Amino acid sequence: MRPTARPRAFRGVAALSRPLFALLTAAAGLPGCATAPDEPRAAVRGEAGVPERDRVLHACRAAATALRTGDYSGAKARLDDALARLGGLIVDDAAAARARSLFAAEDTKVFVGEPYERVMVYYYRGILYWRDGEPDNARACFRSGQFNDAGAQDERFSSDYVLLEYLEGLATAKLQGDGTDALARARVLAGERFRLPDYAPGANVLIFAEYGYGPRKVAAGRFGEQLRFQIQDPPSRSARLVLHEGRTVVPLPAYDDLGFQATTRGGRVMDHILGRKAVFKAATNAAADVALAGSVIAADQSHRRELRGKEGGGSESAAVGLGVLGILGKVVSSATRAEADTRQWDNLPQRLSFAALRLPPGEHSGRLEFLDREGRALAARTRPVSLSVAPGDRDTVLFFSELSR
Amino acid sequence: MSLPFRSGPPFLLAAALLGGCATSEGVRNPSGVPVTEMRPDERGFVAGTGIEAQDMVAVTDRMARSILGIPQISRAATPPSVVLEPVVNNTRFPVNKDIFLTRLRTQLNSKASGRVSFLDRDLMKTLQRERELKRSGQVTASADPNVVEFGGADYFLTGKLDGMSTRTAAGTSDYVLYSFRLTDARTSRIVWEDSAEIKKQGLEDAAYR
Repeated sequence: MRPTARPRAFRGVAALSRPLFALLTAAAGLPGCATAPDEPRAAVRGEAGVPERDRVLHACRAAATALRTGDYSGAKARLDDALARLGGLIVDDAAAARARSLFAAEDTKVFVGEPYERVMVYYYRGILYWRDGEPDNARACFRSGQFNDAGAQDERFSSDYVLLEYLEGLATAKLQGDGTDALARARVLAGERFRLPDYAPGANVLIFAEYGYGPRKVAAGRFGEQLRFQIQDPPSRSARLVLHEGRTVVPLPAYDDLGFQATTRGGRVMDHILGRKAVFKAATNAAADVALAGSVIAADQSHRRELRGKEGGGSESAAVGLGVLGILGKVVSSATRAEADTRQWDNLPQRLSFAALRLPPGEHSGRLEFLDREGRALAARTRPVSLSVAPGDRDTVLFFSELSR
Repeated sequence: MSLPFRSGPPFLLAAALLGGCATSEGVRNPSGVPVTEMRPDERGFVAGTGIEAQDMVAVTDRMARSILGIPQISRAATPPSVVLEPVVNNTRFPVNKDIFLTRLRTQLNSKASGRVSFLDRDLMKTLQRERELKRSGQVTASADPNVVEFGGADYFLTGKLDGMSTRTAAGTSDYVLYSFRLTDARTSRIVWEDSAEIKKQGLEDAAYR
């Protein structure tokens, strides 16, 4: 038997697959040349080194936790860290350019969050500025928060936080300015949903409350290229602070809903880029399928001609060429990263509330009740509160959250 | 067999592919940017449309020069006493307001050659406590502690930051007006006022829009 006694068909495939085999080997070797240096890591207080691109995200999460546990200086430090990044314009940035490119996912860019997340950084920092006796800087934060919500696709949902507008006016009134314009704007934003109280110049206690669980980002679409939000419907629809054994009841209605804010922004420019990436990924994959099918047909043709004792007549080279194109197409398609960035500030609340009242300096105790849709107190969520009202001109700022961390 | 290529081209192709994964090609500053010492009035490569160090330096320099030129200061028989009042921030940017007044005071002190003096009202509580200790004899005194020597203000210097911001698909624009004034403590008359204005605009990378 001759050493080449293999079936002819197999010989043909073997001959064809030599260059293909070389290519596949090279393709298999590609991942091995991933030589990206170690990702820069940021030192975030209280956490092991986190990727530099996620620094803001970790700072935000830690700030919310610090705020809820009464670590106000820790919250300030982390919010300032986040604001140092959010406050600037990111231009001519390599990571951003990479995120826009075909072969890198959106989450390779530095996280600065979606508008509702950026708004919350300013909102929390504003509360802390007010707590420190700087209502003008608090007002600046509330304005910046509202500013970050500008530019929604539908103008009706642009800069439409009721509470930020209301607080801007209140801070102005506290600074002996005229807050009536801001109050009027806040009332327009609130519409018929609720009546915002007039500013009480004598109020010395400001209560910020939050409840419910914030929106969750999910990637939808064939390649996960569409950023979508899941909104939960937590039982806490409202809240109230009951003091002095029920003699003082402070309603804390939900003035703003982060779920509503997250879902009314409209599309991003980045969504358009991700959409194009998805189209490219699908098109290259489809083209690769066609090329590989063509390669198989051409190989079969060549094989049949060989069985008939004829030359391949170009079918063989066509099979190789199409095979190469097909494999390249598959490689390119699978390397295209169209997924939307779903990194998220995952300990945000859903609803934001506020109340201002006048209390005499000293200690006060009572309970904080969260209410269901029908306005009934949710007993399991009710918690005792004690508050200390400081003497003097400075406002006492209190922060209550249904979320523990 | 009439293959257009046998084994060379696939390897060339593979080499080309491998070349594509060249480590840091196309990455700007792959090794980072060394720490650069800059003048405080110089625009850095980390920038936004908000209030930045170079703005604060430019504004306080200008205000210091302007104040020293007015006759109430330059031709005063005795150096007038000035109290600095906190700057009011009416922009959308939270700022460290003290830094404006601190730099303005240091600029005036360094350039005025004794033509103006500042009263330290931030330390009043500490100073009063010290005076009480002296009066009660708990600490020594180099002068009679019962004589009132705390200086009264001739002028109050204060400032205000106002802003106007716009954000559209074309970008972000921020205008900030820095205004300062010197008020006569006796007559309430504004004896000097000056302002500086800075406008900035930019458009963020599409990945963030």
